[in-house]
This record gives sequence, C-alpha cells and structure tokens, in this order.
Amino acid sequence: MAFHLDYFLASLVSGLAYLPRTLLLVSLPLALGLLGGLVLAAFRVYRVPVLGRLTALGVSIYQGVPIVVALVIYNLLFMSLFNDVAAFFGVATTVAEVDIIWVGIFALALQEVTLMEESFRGAFYSVPAGQREAALACGLTELQALRRIIVPQLVPVAVPMLMNHVVGNIKNSSVVIAIGVAEVLTGASIPAARTYSFLESYVAAGLIYWALATAAEQLIGQWEIRPEARQSSWFWQVCARVRRRRTVTVAQQEKRGQVHAELEAYQKIL
Amino acid sequence: MLSLKHIRKSFDREEVLRDVSLQVRHGEVVSILGPSGSGKTTLLRCLDFLERADGGELTLDDLHVDLAHAKRRDVLAMRRRTAFVFQNYNLFANKTARENVMEGLVTARGVSPDEARKKAEEALAWVGLLDKAGEYPSRLSGGQQQRIGIARAVVLDPEVIFLDEPTSALDPELVGEVLNVIREVARRGIAMIIVTHEMAFAREVSHHVVFMEGGRVIEEGPPEQIFSQPREERTRTFLKRYLTDSNMYYI
Amino acid sequence: MEALFSWQRFWADVPLLLPYFLVTVKIVFWGIGVGLVLGIVLACLRLRHLAWLEPILHIYVSFMRGTPMLVQLLIIFYGLPLVLAAVGVQEAVRWDKMVFVYAAFALNETAFLSEIFRSAILAVPAGQLEAAYAVGLTRWQAYRRIVLPQAWRIALPGFGADFIALFHGTSLAFLVGVIDIMGRAQALGASTHHALEGYLFVALLFIVCSLGLRVGFNYLDRRLAYGR
Repeated sequence: MAFHLDYFLASLVSGLAYLPRTLLLVSLPLALGLLGGLVLAAFRVYRVPVLGRLTALGVSIYQGVPIVVALVIYNLLFMSLFNDVAAFFGVATTVAEVDIIWVGIFALALQEVTLMEESFRGAFYSVPAGQREAALACGLTELQALRRIIVPQLVPVAVPMLMNHVVGNIKNSSVVIAIGVAEVLTGASIPAARTYSFLESYVAAGLIYWALATAAEQLIGQWEIRPEARQSSWFWQVCARVRRRRTVTVAQQEKRGQVHAELEAYQKIL
Repeated sequence: MLSLKHIRKSFDREEVLRDVSLQVRHGEVVSILGPSGSGKTTLLRCLDFLERADGGELTLDDLHVDLAHAKRRDVLAMRRRTAFVFQNYNLFANKTARENVMEGLVTARGVSPDEARKKAEEALAWVGLLDKAGEYPSRLSGGQQQRIGIARAVVLDPEVIFLDEPTSALDPELVGEVLNVIREVARRGIAMIIVTHEMAFAREVSHHVVFMEGGRVIEEGPPEQIFSQPREERTRTFLKRYLTDSNMYYI
Repeated sequence: MEALFSWQRFWADVPLLLPYFLVTVKIVFWGIGVGLVLGIVLACLRLRHLAWLEPILHIYVSFMRGTPMLVQLLIIFYGLPLVLAAVGVQEAVRWDKMVFVYAAFALNETAFLSEIFRSAILAVPAGQLEAAYAVGLTRWQAYRRIVLPQAWRIALPGFGADFIALFHGTSLAFLVGVIDIMGRAQALGASTHHALEGYLFVALLFIVCSLGLRVGFNYLDRRLAYGR
C-alpha cells in the first residue's frame, strides 16, 4: 500500500476550500437549535397546556429518526414539491436555482432543536428548586429569580453542554453528502475522482473535522476556566482587552455594584 | 499483641505522622483523641494500608510487617486479620445489608455461602437490624448503616478493629445507637483502636487513651489520668475546649 | 402526475424492506459486541496511565470522538483492506466487505464505550474500594465484586444513549454501498421512482425501535437501582 502524500495534501487543500460551507452547516443549525430548543424547553418546564405535551411527544418521536433518513426524506419532498409550492406563492424560482445546502441546514437544525430542548431541560432541572423558592422568598419576582439566580447557575452546566452540541454538529454536518451538498468531505474527495486516492481524501477530511472539533472544544473549554486562572489564558486576555475598550458609564457601574451586593446577600441567605 | 513502631507519613512534603509508636494488648480498647489534622485518621489508614506509610513497623502477634515496603501478601494478611469501620460507613452500595456482611467471609475468607449467611444474620441480629437484612444501604439511616458497618467488621472475627470517627457523620440523635453497639464489641473482648471526638464515650469505654497533635503522640495513659490529670499543657487546652462543647451532644 | 405518497405502495414496500433490517441488526451486534470488550480493555488500560501507551490511546479516542462516523466508515472501509494487505494479509482485499463495515462501527464504539466506562469507574466513590480492601478482598476481587458492578450501573444511561446512537449510525452504511434497510429503500426508490414510501417506513421502523430501546433501558435503569 502506498499512501501518497501529494494526493493527501491536494485533498487537504481542496477540502479546506469548502470549510466555509461546513461552517455554515454547523453554525446556522446551532443558532436555530439554540433558539428553538429554548422555546420548546420552556413549553415543557413551565408546563404550557397542549404545547408542553405536544413538545414532549414530538421530541421523543423525532429523536428516533436517524439524521440521514430525515435528510433523504426532506430532500425528496423538497425536490418533488418545491416547484408547485413556489408557483402557488407566485415565486418565480425553480428547484434547480436553489442551493440544496438549505435542505441540509433545515434537517440539521430540526435535529438540533430536539437535542437542545433536552439539554436545556436537563440544565434547568439541575438547579435545585430551593434556589427559586429562596429567591421568591427574598421578594424577587419570578422573572427576577430566573434572571439573577437561576440563569447564572445554569451557565456552568450549559457550557459543557454547548460544547457537546458544537462538536456533535460538526460531526453531523458531513452526512449532507448523502443528498449531494458540497462541503468539506465532498471537497476533499474531488481530487480522488481523478487519481482514485480515496483513502488519502478521507484521511484529509477526517483531519479537518478533527481539527475543527478540537478547536471548538478548546475555545469553549476556555469558558470553564476558573476566574483565578484566567490571567494565564490567552482567550481571557483577549476578552479582557475587548471589554476594557467598551466605555462603562457611571450609572452602569452603580447598577453593577448594586447587583453584586444583592447577589452576595442572597448567597449568604441561601 | 499489636505494636506499631516509628510510623512516618507525609503528603506532599507536609509531615502528617512523625514517628508514632503505639501498643495494643489483647482485648484492649485504645482511643485516639486530638484536634483535626493531628494525623489520627491517617494513622489508622496506614495500619490497614489504605494509605502507604513512608516508614514504620507493625507487629500483630506473629505477623511482622514493614509498613513502607510490605508485599501484597503481607498487606492482604494484615487486612484479613483486622477490620475497619469508616467514618462515612462505606457500605457496598451494590449489595444488601446481608450481602455486605457476607462479602468478606465468602470472598476473602472462603467461608461457604450458607455458613456465611448464618453468621451474617447472627451479626445483624446482634446489632438489632435483622429485619433490614434485605435492604440496600441507600434505604437505611446513617445510624443503621454504621451499625451494619460494625457488624461487617465483627463478623470477620478480627484480632483488632480500627474505627475511624464512627459517629462523626451521624445526626446527634443517631449517635447513641452506634455507641451502644461499640460498647457491645468492647464487652466481647475484641481489641479496638478508636479515633473519636466523643470524649465521654472514650473515657467510659477505653482502657488506654492516646492524645495526638501535629503528627505526634503528645500524651498517653489510662483514661482517668488523661481526662482528670493531664500532664501536658496541650492536652489540657484541647480537653477543656472539647469537654465543654461535646458533652452537649453526648447522649 | 402520480401522487407523491400512496398507502398501497407503502404496504407493498414493507415485505420487501423488512428482511434487510437483519443487516442493520448485525452491524449493531458486532459494533456493540466487539466495542464492549475492547472498550472495557481500553478503559482499564487508560486508568492505569501507562506512560508509553497513554498518548496513543488518547489520540485514538480523541480522533474517534472528534470525527464524523461517516468519515471513519469511509477511511476504514477503503483503508483497512489496504493496511491489512500491506502488513501481509493479502487475502484481506477479497474478504466480505461487511467485515470492514463491522470493524468501522466496532472501532468507533470502542472509543466511545471506553470513555463511558472510564468515567463510570472513576465515579464510584473511593470509599467503596477502601471498604473492599478493608474486609480483605484482593484488588481483582474488589474490582470484580464491588467497583465494576457499581460502575456498570453508573454507565448504564450513557451506554443506552450510545447504543441508540450506534443503531442510528448504522443508517450511514448505505453510503458505502451496503444494502441494509436504508440501502434497499434507496434501490427500491430508484427502480420504481417512488422512494418516499420506503424511506418513511424506514423512519417509522427506527422510531419504533428507538422508543422501544429507550423504554427498555429506562426499565433496566430502575430495576438495577440498588434500592434507590
């Protein structure tokens, strides 16, 4: 067996050229998932009538569908129905003119919504009920309790969760080649069509995904660094510099001080 | 019968035990007192090889072990002739009360399951918990768990039992039931080394009291002497503080 | 134009597709079976922190967890026969292609399960091991009778999620030409020009099985709760 380094490098370059497409396939579903997941989780946590039940049912059913199966179904529906629907709404676009990446984004986003819903719910329940009760007992409103007591405590749980989602989505994004969306994996395979160096191409693609996942892990891992260790972290130094540039008004500072004092008081009580 | 000589142990350059020596005779109850961080718990853990001492010798009748360099066989022999009662009970979470008591008999000593079951139930009846034999530890109160912990130790018929603050993790109202069981063990004539903060109990049950501070034995002697006429100033200060505080909890 | 979906075609597809579900089950079987054994071995090796082996195992686990299953499948499906041929197993190129599909899923599972077991073993309180030593158990006895049963219990929810993920992952195999239930649905669609019914049946089958597996694992979780 010969592993051709030059073919491998050609694949690496070709794959990297498609990195923006993969990043789009990762970031957009992630953002949509974050939003949709939060809304759905709220339905369930606050036991909204009908919607809460529907969410529970829908999420557990939808989680049974493998992403690639969902993808080919959406693609099929998109291909068969798009022209009719477009004509119905009087849009003069045909299916051939639409980038199929949107089907991929749709499928990935929907999957991400269901996964995020579960994560958000888990994070929410990880804060003991006593925290909310104590906040209400201190005279805070339900919304204040959420914003000042519960959400700050969600962050340490939510950060590693977010990391799992980013890495998961980077890995998931490659399945869109099943419907012919061009992204990193496709890009890396382009040279192989001429040279039959498929192994080199796939290894190159693997390395790109690996680097992407590791980078995401590193970046988000920085959030988990404890305050006292942040001095020695490049990430936090950059953040601090950005923060320093922002001007802080006196009123803002006062308000911040007040919040701090309040929080300290709560901590003592809790 | 059990003698310890020159035991030393450090954690990251911090000396926790500095040359500790101790004697325990057959059936004798020895209490170790001292402020937290004085090395009492570490001493017990070194004797059962839960912590590896940096130096020291241990003699248990005919068994002679170099604590720092003991081989697997010696470690196992020592553990099979002694028993340990933990501060936070450490009952096996995947086993019922009965199975907890049987485990050492069956697996370590090779006793047949039928006989082990009989002995385990005797031991459970003896600590008053035969009706809980089939329960998992998570369903039992701290006091019940600790009584089973003691049954698990006694059933092995050990030459000496090490008890590491056996009542410290308990709610005050549960301390009494556990102390009663330990009193019973003493009455049976099983030797014990007890690390405890229950001063009145230590005074009542021990034959010999050791006061430790800063990794050293400061003073030792019969309980009447240590509690009534301590020779060392540090012992006196410690007892003064503890006797006023802890007697309120003692039931 | 014919309707996009018809129940008639749907029911006609069912007997044509169902037998191919066996291929999916086989992939899951080999993936979990081999992955479980190698995963436990890997977890134990990593817990011992062997100086020369640890970096290699770390990279292996990181790569398997950080790259898409599809890419791993492609690399192993096309690469492993070549690697085997290079080290002297010439006939590997002529082996049943399914072997390499099983290998891909098994190697992936090894990495994931090793992490699940490693963290589960670390999650068993140290006092359990100490108590086992204190009643005279040897290291091996203590692990076999006290630590591993509890670790298994802690690992169960993670194992369940991983099992379902593997089950879903098998649906990628048709992309390297495996005729599993998904591959069959695609082929059927290509020949009849009506793919939707087949795909919907596949989706439905996955939903039912996933729900079944979840219920099963939840039941086990409650059964093995040691009184909690």
